[in-house]
Amino acid sequence: MSSAAGIAIATLVTLTLVKSTPIIYAALGGVISERAGIVNIGLEGMMAGGAFTAVVFSGITGSPIAGLLAGIAAGALLGFVLGFAATVFKVDQIVAGTGINLVALGGAAYALTLLYNQPGASPQVNALGPNYWILVALAFVCALALHAVLYFTPWGLRVRACGENPRAVHDAGLHPLRLRLYAVILSGALAGLGGAFLSIGEVNIYSDGMTAGRGFIALAAVIFGRWTPWGATGAAVFFGFFEALQYVLQGRIGWLPSDAMQAVPYIAALVAIAGLVGKVRAPAADGIPY
Amino acid sequence: MSAPQPALRLRGIGRSFPGVRAVDDVDLDLFAGEIHALVGENGAGKSTLANIAFGALRADEGTVEAAGTVGLVHQHFQLVGRLSVWQNVLLGREPRRGWRIDARQARERVSGLAQQNGLEIEPDAYVDELPVGVQQRVELLRELEREPAVLLLDEPTAALAPAEIDSFFKTITALAQRGTAIMIVTHKLQEVIAYSKRVSVMRHGRITGRFETAATSIDEIARAMVGGDLPTVAQRAAVTHTPCFRMENVTAGSGGTAIRGISLEVAAGEIVGIAGVEGNGQTTLTDAVAGMIPHTGTVTFASAQVRTGVIPQDRHREGLVLGWSIVENAILGRQRSRGIRRGVMIDRQAAREDAQRIVRSLDVRAASLDAPVKTLSGGNQQKIVVGRALLGDPQFVLAYQPTRGIDVGAAALVQSRLIEARNAGAAVLLISFELDEVLALADRVLVMYRGAIAGSFSGAQIDRARIGRLMAGSAA
Amino acid sequence: MIQLRRALGGPVGAILLAFFLAACAMLVAGVSPLDGFSALFVGSLGGRQQIAETLVQTTALLFPALGISLAFRAGLFNIGAEGQLLIGALACGAVGAHFAAPTPLAIFVLLACGFVGGGIWGGIAGWLRAQFNANEIISTLMLNFVAISLATYLVSGPLKSPAAVGAETAPLPAASWLPLLIPDTRLSIGLIIAILAAFVLRWLFTRTVFGYELRASGEAPDAARRNGVNMPRTTLLALTLSGAIAGLGGATIVTGVLHRFNTQLSPGYGYTAIAVALVGDLNPLWVCLAAFGFGILEAGGLAMQALADVPKDAIHVIEGLIILVLAARRYIATRAEAAPI
Repeated sequence: MSSAAGIAIATLVTLTLVKSTPIIYAALGGVISERAGIVNIGLEGMMAGGAFTAVVFSGITGSPIAGLLAGIAAGALLGFVLGFAATVFKVDQIVAGTGINLVALGGAAYALTLLYNQPGASPQVNALGPNYWILVALAFVCALALHAVLYFTPWGLRVRACGENPRAVHDAGLHPLRLRLYAVILSGALAGLGGAFLSIGEVNIYSDGMTAGRGFIALAAVIFGRWTPWGATGAAVFFGFFEALQYVLQGRIGWLPSDAMQAVPYIAALVAIAGLVGKVRAPAADGIPY
Repeated sequence: MSAPQPALRLRGIGRSFPGVRAVDDVDLDLFAGEIHALVGENGAGKSTLANIAFGALRADEGTVEAAGTVGLVHQHFQLVGRLSVWQNVLLGREPRRGWRIDARQARERVSGLAQQNGLEIEPDAYVDELPVGVQQRVELLRELEREPAVLLLDEPTAALAPAEIDSFFKTITALAQRGTAIMIVTHKLQEVIAYSKRVSVMRHGRITGRFETAATSIDEIARAMVGGDLPTVAQRAAVTHTPCFRMENVTAGSGGTAIRGISLEVAAGEIVGIAGVEGNGQTTLTDAVAGMIPHTGTVTFASAQVRTGVIPQDRHREGLVLGWSIVENAILGRQRSRGIRRGVMIDRQAAREDAQRIVRSLDVRAASLDAPVKTLSGGNQQKIVVGRALLGDPQFVLAYQPTRGIDVGAAALVQSRLIEARNAGAAVLLISFELDEVLALADRVLVMYRGAIAGSFSGAQIDRARIGRLMAGSAA
Repeated sequence: MIQLRRALGGPVGAILLAFFLAACAMLVAGVSPLDGFSALFVGSLGGRQQIAETLVQTTALLFPALGISLAFRAGLFNIGAEGQLLIGALACGAVGAHFAAPTPLAIFVLLACGFVGGGIWGGIAGWLRAQFNANEIISTLMLNFVAISLATYLVSGPLKSPAAVGAETAPLPAASWLPLLIPDTRLSIGLIIAILAAFVLRWLFTRTVFGYELRASGEAPDAARRNGVNMPRTTLLALTLSGAIAGLGGATIVTGVLHRFNTQLSPGYGYTAIAVALVGDLNPLWVCLAAFGFGILEAGGLAMQALADVPKDAIHVIEGLIILVLAARRYIATRAEAAPI
């Protein structure tokens, strides 16, 4: 094998892992939320909120770790908003998630202008630098942890029951609404972490629209992965691969237009969700207010 | 010697829902070791009262005092299908080993509990793969796991075959003997006479009768239940023999609710009633007849032009658009028919006339034709569904649970209309889980068991006992 | 009358809340709400030019909002109006750069291009849902991004106008321009077309068999399926038509306002239109009113930014909050029939 090809493959692998990471986090968030019974369309907004807040706090404190924690908190807060609306007010979760997306994305743009007086992108801040690899590895650790929690712990069993039959959970003397709320908060925290990786892991700024639909690709990964932690992770890597592929090929094949190539991950997601003919079943009480 | 303290004491219980007083000033005492029957018609308030006693619903007025845990086995099980038996039984009380669930201990606990109560169960089986009778055992075990002082059972034998009913009552009687206070909510008076010690009768949310079972009769209880005689159903007429509808060797569906090799025929002017316990393929059969699912074998009508009417099982999900008016619901299913469709548009005048006809014919009580259907009572909603199916004098009627969950008066009216349709020459295929209804209406009775026709009876041969045995899978 | 009371309970309350929150946003920006709101209203309604611009924004929002209303009524959550609008505009601009004909014909052909282009884009999602039960929320959003990529590629390369500096198509010949409604402004008869479309949609919903079946499939899918409604076909038609209306809107922007296509032609109309559709309670005539309200926000937002130093992104936050509040109304009656998400 020629060294050029070797380098290209190595680049592809590392780039795949890097590009998959934010999607993995968001997809894991999607899994826990939906298994509890709450459809989380707001993953995109939670990622954006996490990305933006991470930059702001890293800028203020000079510490990327502070930024990371702030990003997680921001995602968790947005998750709380969705969870609260869904469990207390029993709103239409899809509409609420859409609202959260707009609030978060618009809010970030608004705050961008307010804080930095430059629309479009923030100034550079302290980022994780070469330590960003820790977050990449952590994503897979989170997948393992979520798998263990969901299938082996009492909390995980109860959360899964919430997504299938919250009434049964209630009869068992537990609090399905509370369990759902915790799950969505965790979901937001994970998405926020994924967003923070985007802004202070991969690069060191926040720019308008940097999430670029990853929150929705994560949802496709949840479905493709059959609502399981490892399945969603695998699907996220699949989509990350296409994003990485687009980068690697861009410079090398002259006749492939780079603008058109950017569509590849999205088309991959389209094909993925189309390829499941009636075989899949979401948790039975998913999206239905209790 | 002082009287023993009741295990459950309800005093002055009241509960309203929008538009209806479901429970009104109810007092009830339940003692350890007794089997107490709570009877009443659909809508009398029995389930509401049971849920209040259990704690799932809060009473508006009154007090509930229990001498220990109260358990409730629901009429429609509240199980988590995708989880296993032991996960369902021990949900919320899972045995632990450090941070994980101790699955082995869980299995042992469930097996032990099942054995203790004479129930056969497989702890690792997934609930949604179990037959209905076994699912009930899981629900029962779940309640028993909490060692309740009081056990409430809501229509426990509705989905059971006669043999399963026997073993169910064996288990319950043993439980009572060990000291549990048991209340069974039911409308099956034979079981009440056979197994209970005391009976309380509810009607329109109030207690209208309290009896010692040994000292009373089915008639006396029934009278307290309905407050008088049941409304009569229209008379029968002779049967013609022109076949209108035929199924030949129809196989459809999969899993526990599949149907295999179903062959039957319905002639013009007759009602063929399919009796059977819920869950034996009736829904698959109706779906195949209605063309909703693929099937092998043939489903044919006498001619291509046969007018058909369908009364679906679930009026809320399958029969009505709840947010729409009576007028718009009146044409559901006929929006493309020649009388209603005018080019690309809908003839609103014709739709309105149809709605008026339905309202008159079925005596629908509604403020106006434009009122949203969801504001009507269940009985009136069902009347609209039935009236719509019978509009236009169909030659074939498929009626699936036509009187499900509606008050006695509405049920009698619906049954009358079905008989009238039959008298006018329609072929009616009736499927009902209430054996009484099938026996009251049908000219011929078929029994469905495990997706096949287990027996056929007509005229004088119709024998309740033999039908009951076939429903349970025994030989006639 | 029932509709009016229902509307007052929900959308109006949401709007009032939104105004309250907008005032908060202004305070946060260090601006007195009085200044902020007056800049907003003066900037949107303060004069002939301002009103015309407000109506331009109204038109741009009304088309996709009508399309979204149709899809929502069919139980389909179409969040791809932005992409459908873009593709419609692209088709219109691409053809319009090379198509010369007398005015009525040219306009008709170009608007039809927009209609067809948007229809195809919506139809893809409709087909994926009808054929593969692929959830339309994901597919329509993915298609938004594909649309941007496609449009950017085409307009930077093969379709780029040789005379232009930036990435855009060649300008349309004057005969293909939509006549102006108010002279010396950007307001064309596109507004009239949009309002006509609203009336057509209302007629469709209330009087036709297709509208009856579409509403049934959205409000009671199981009952619809059992009562003669062909669900896959209705899904496909609903999303196609929804995209087509949005695409028509894109074409209106090209022929009426910009007179060419470039990728910046929509500042997120397709997303704002979701809020417009919800505030209008999915009812075509109310949606017109809602579009006017949001048109005020869009047009006044720029003035608010210029005159009162309130970033115009505050408008998008307000839109998101309105949607969040209106989620309590539970528009999509049943999720049980939704494609897996």
